[in-house]
Parts: sequence; C-alpha cells; structure tokens
Amino acid sequence: MNTDKHQEKALRIERSLKKCRPEDHEIRIEGVMLAATHWVNGAYHDLGVSADTNDILHSYMLTVNEYRRYAAANEDLIGKLAEIEDVRPLYVRGDVEGGQKVADRAGALLDEIRAIAISVRRR
Amino acid sequence: MNIEGHVDKIKRLEDLRKRLDPESDFELWFWSTMTAGTNAVNAALHHAGITPGERAFPSQPGVYYVPASDKGKEFKPVLKSSGDVLHVGRPPIPGPVPADISEMMKSMEQIEHFRDPCTRGDMTIDANVISTCEKAYGTCVAMLERRLSEKKQ
Repeated sequence: MNTDKHQEKALRIERSLKKCRPEDHEIRIEGVMLAATHWVNGAYHDLGVSADTNDILHSYMLTVNEYRRYAAANEDLIGKLAEIEDVRPLYVRGDVEGGQKVADRAGALLDEIRAIAISVRRR
Repeated sequence: MNIEGHVDKIKRLEDLRKRLDPESDFELWFWSTMTAGTNAVNAALHHAGITPGERAFPSQPGVYYVPASDKGKEFKPVLKSSGDVLHVGRPPIPGPVPADISEMMKSMEQIEHFRDPCTRGDMTIDANVISTCEKAYGTCVAMLERRLSEKKQ
C-alpha cells in the first residue's frame, strides 16, 4: 500500500485509540501495533527500502536477511515496532499484570515511530 | 490461559466494542471483535478438554511463554504442542472437534477473512463487512455461552 494510504490508516487508528480507556490495554497495544506498522511501512517505502506492494506484516515474520536490510536503512523503525510486538504474548494474549503500563510504553513507542516516519516524508 | 481469564477478556472487549463506532473506528472495532472471538474459541477448546487451560501464552504457533519459576513474575518461551491458538487455524487443531466449536471456528474464519484486507490494506469497509463480522461474532459468543451454561446445569 502506498505511503499516503498508510498514513491515512495510521491516523484513523490513532483517532480510535483515543476512545480507549487505560484498562483497555489489550486493544491499546493492538491498535498501537497496527498504527505503528502503517507508519513503519510508509517510512520504508519513502526510504526506498520496500515497494508499495511489499508491506511488513510483523517484524518477526521477516527473514533474518530482510530484518537486517530494514535495520540497515533505519534501525529505530523496525526495532521499536518489534518492541511493541514483543509485549503481545504476555499482555494481549495473556493475563500478566501490568498491562496498562505496558500499553503506555507502547503508545510512547508509537509517538517515536510516527515522528521518524514524518521526518522521512519531509526529506 | 484459563477459561476465567478468557471470559474476563471477552467481557472487557465487549465493553470497548460498545464505545467504538463500527464504521469510523472499524479497525479497532474489528480487532476487539476478533480478539474477543478468539478468546471464546480458546475457552471452548479448554472446556472440551481439547487444549489445556493454563498459564501459557502463545507468541507464534508452537511457542508459548510460561512462568520461569513457581513464584517469579518472569516468563520464558518454550515449545509446546498444544495451547491457546493465536487465530483460528494458527495452529490448526488436530482431529475432530465438537460441532458447536466447529461452528465457532467457522464464524471466526468469516471474521478473519477481513483482517488483513481491512485493517492493513485498503479494502472498502462497508455495511456488509460490518454486518458479516457482527453476525459471526454473535454466533461465536452465543455458542460459548451455551457451552459454559450447560456445564453448570
């Protein structure tokens, strides 16, 4: 999908995230993961690393070679996305305490990813 | 996760679904629906004794996070052949399942059909998509409620 559509989708998800309460930590994390993935894909398209027809679904589904390639272009984008994804087993699919704090951290990572993606667009 | 944990998540996700607009908030509404439905399937599978209800949380098919010790809050990834599914079909459940759970899974497949096209792609979100998801979800949770209530009788 092209960068404009990724950005539109990410902003739409971020608007919906504002309707979540702190205790909705599962979907706060999932929504952050979805929005972040859109920003990351758009940024890598803008950087010329991936084509519009080649979106990342999850960082952990990439081959090691692909992951290294994305990291070489911008390590923060793929690394921060991976950090968001890594909390899902315990706090989305599991019932480990502390989900609200973890969702707050995920939201902060989304802010950082969005800032990188927007800076890439402005180049 | 155990049945009570799944049911608690379903209740909280349903509360959130009511605060989201199925059209303008489709992505989160859909994800709440899919996550609640998957929890319902997992609860039903535990109830039927097909998968274990335990503190083991999937990260990918065959890999689960389990407590690293009896008292610790740390978790570690281990290989397990059976447990919660991430999505219906991931991993597949081997062997026959009771008819009601089979219907729940078919309902979830209808929902999952829209996952990537509508949340990651740009497939048009229309009334038909929303009503299909809503109807399938309703079937899925009704089946779970029936199964759990019959057990109590």
